[in-house]
Amino acid sequence: MQVFAALMMKGQMTKLAPVDILILALYFALVVFIGFYAKGKANTSEDFFLAGREMTAWIAGLSFVSANLGSLELMGWAGAAYQYGILATHWYWIGAIPAMLFLGIVMMPFYYISKTHSVPGYLQLRFGEGARGLSAISFGVMTILMSGVNMYAMAVVMQTVLGWNISFSIWVGAATVALYVMLGGLRSAIINEVLQFVLIWAGAAMIPILGLIEAGGWTNLKAQIAANVGSRDYTHLWSTLGSFKDNPMGVHWTGIVFGLGFVISFGYWTTDFLVVQRVLSANNLRAAKMAPIIGAAFKMAVPFIVIVPGLLALAVLKNPDGSVMHLVPASIAKVTGQHSYDDVLPLMLIRYCGPGLLGLGITALVAGFMSGMAGNVSAFSTVWTYDIYGAFINKKASDKHYVAMGRWSTVVGMLVSVATAYLVMNAASIMDYVQALFTFFIAPLFGTVILGMLWKRATHAGGFWGLLAGTVSSIGMFIWTHSDPGALRYIALSPNAKPMAENLYRGLWCWLICVGVTVVVSFMTKPVPAEKLGGLVYGVTPIPHDGSTTLWQKPMFWAIVVITVFFILNLMLW
Amino acid sequence: MSDKHDVETAELSIWFFCGILMLAYGVVLIITGLMEFHHPPPTVLADLHPTLWWGLLMALFGAVYTIRYRPKHLF
Repeated sequence: MQVFAALMMKGQMTKLAPVDILILALYFALVVFIGFYAKGKANTSEDFFLAGREMTAWIAGLSFVSANLGSLELMGWAGAAYQYGILATHWYWIGAIPAMLFLGIVMMPFYYISKTHSVPGYLQLRFGEGARGLSAISFGVMTILMSGVNMYAMAVVMQTVLGWNISFSIWVGAATVALYVMLGGLRSAIINEVLQFVLIWAGAAMIPILGLIEAGGWTNLKAQIAANVGSRDYTHLWSTLGSFKDNPMGVHWTGIVFGLGFVISFGYWTTDFLVVQRVLSANNLRAAKMAPIIGAAFKMAVPFIVIVPGLLALAVLKNPDGSVMHLVPASIAKVTGQHSYDDVLPLMLIRYCGPGLLGLGITALVAGFMSGMAGNVSAFSTVWTYDIYGAFINKKASDKHYVAMGRWSTVVGMLVSVATAYLVMNAASIMDYVQALFTFFIAPLFGTVILGMLWKRATHAGGFWGLLAGTVSSIGMFIWTHSDPGALRYIALSPNAKPMAENLYRGLWCWLICVGVTVVVSFMTKPVPAEKLGGLVYGVTPIPHDGSTTLWQKPMFWAIVVITVFFILNLMLW
Repeated sequence: MSDKHDVETAELSIWFFCGILMLAYGVVLIITGLMEFHHPPPTVLADLHPTLWWGLLMALFGAVYTIRYRPKHLF
C-alpha cells in the first residue's frame, strides 16, 4: 500500500514492468501483421472502403459499437460518473440503445439497398450534390481534426500515467495506425476494432469486479457513496431528473429524453458515417439489420467497465493519510497538483492491477486510442475519395486510381491529424472547440436524413437549406452561450440549468429548425418525381425480405429483447 | 458459401486473431500470477491473486477460439 500511495504523488502515476512491455509489444506486432495480412484482400475500392461488404452481423456489430468505444470516451465518461454519478449512464443507454435499434430496423434497409458507399453518398442520391458537398466537407474536416484530438489525448494519458514523451506517443501511434489502415483499408480497421473490443473488456473488467469486492457489493457501494458525498442523488438514474436543481448534472428529464435520447443520439448513431460505415460492410440485408442490434446489446454492458469504476472511485479512493480523495476539474488539477476527474480510470487501474494486468489495461487504452484514430481516418479517406475527390475533382478515374487515392488520403489525413495534435498541444482550448464542432453537424444532419427517408415530399432545395439552417443555428447558439453564459437559461428554458444541459437543448432546437426549414422550403419548391425516389424513401420503396425464416433469425425479435432489457435496467436503477 | 471470401472461414478468421492474442496474454498472466506468490504486487486485494485467475480465464477463452477458428490448412 505504501508503494501505491507513493505512486499517487505528483508526476507519473506508475511505470511498466518488463511483462507489461511484452504485452504491449505483442499487441503492436499483431496489429501490424493484420495490416499486411489484410492488404492482400484490399484490391478494389469496394474491398478497401467497405471491406468487400463481406462482414457477418457479429463482426459488423462489434465493430459498430467498438468504433465509438475510444479511450477518450472511456476515460471521459468514467470521470463524468465520478463527477455526476450514475446519470452518466444515460449517454450509454437512452443516448444509444433506441437509436441503434432504430438504425437496424427502420433506416438500415434504405442505406443498404441504395448501395451507397457513404452517408453523404445517400444525401447525393436523395437531395443532390449541394447537400452531399456540405455534409462531406464538414464531416471530412471534423473527422480529421477529431483524429488529431484523439492522438493528443493518447499522448497526454501516456505522459501522465507512464511519463512517456508526448511526441514519441503521437508518432508511434500515428505511424502504426497509418500503416495498417493504408495497407488493409476498412477490413484492417474492422479486424482491429473487434480485437480492441475484446481487449478493452479483458483489460478493464478487473476494475469493477475487484472494486465491487472491495466495496462489499452494490448495496454497500451505494451506502458508501451516500456517506462520502452527503447525497443519495448519485445512484439514481431518473428519480432526480424532475427538476434542474435536484441532480448533480443540472439537467431535466426533457433534455435527457428529447435532446439526448432522440436528437443527439439518433443523429450520431444513424447518420455519423464513422459508425454507419461499419454496418454498410455487412454481407447481406439481414446482417446489416442485425449488426446495430448486436451492437446495442453490447453497448448496454459498457457502463459496467466505464460508469461503475467512476462510482467506485467515489467510495474507495483514499489519500495516503486515509481521508477520502477528492478529484477536481482539470483546470484546478493543473494548479493544485491534485488528480483530475479524467484520471479516474488510470487511478483505479493502478489500484487493483499489478504487473501483467497493468500492461493489459494500458494496452486496452492504447488499443482504444488507436482504434478511434483508425475509425476517423478510414471514414475520412472514404468520404474524401468518394464524396469530394470522386464527386467534384476527378469523376472518371479508374477503380485502381480510387484505391490509390484512398491509401494516399489515409497518409495525408494522418499527417494533418499529427499537425492538429501539435496545434492542440500549444493551445489546449482548441480541443474543446473541435469536440463541440461535431455537435454542430450531427443533429441537423439527422433531421435531413430522416425526412429524406420517411417523407417523399422533401425536395432537394428543402434538404440543402434545412441542413444549412440547422447547422448555422447550432453554431449561433454555441457562440451565444459561450459569449454570454446567461443565455443558457433561454436555450434550456430554466435559470437552474447547468452547462451539461446546453448541448442537449441546442441539439433539440437546431434539429427542429432544420426540420422546419426543410418542410417549408419543400412545400415552396417542385416535388421530386416518385420514380426518382425508388430505393431511397419509405412508401415508394419495396423493402426486400431480409431472408430470416425462424423467429430466432428475425432482427425485430432481437430488437424487442434488447429494448425489454433496456427498460428493465432503467427501472431497476430508477 | 459464396465465391467471395467469408471472413469467418477465410484463411485467418478475425476470431482466430482474438483467440491467439488472448491465449498469449493468458499464458503471460498465468506465469506472472504464479511468480506473485513469492513477490506479491503492492495493489489492493492482491491476496486474491487476480492476475492468476484472470490469466486462466483468458487462456481458456483464447484456447477455445484459437482451436475453433484455426486455419484449417495449417493444422
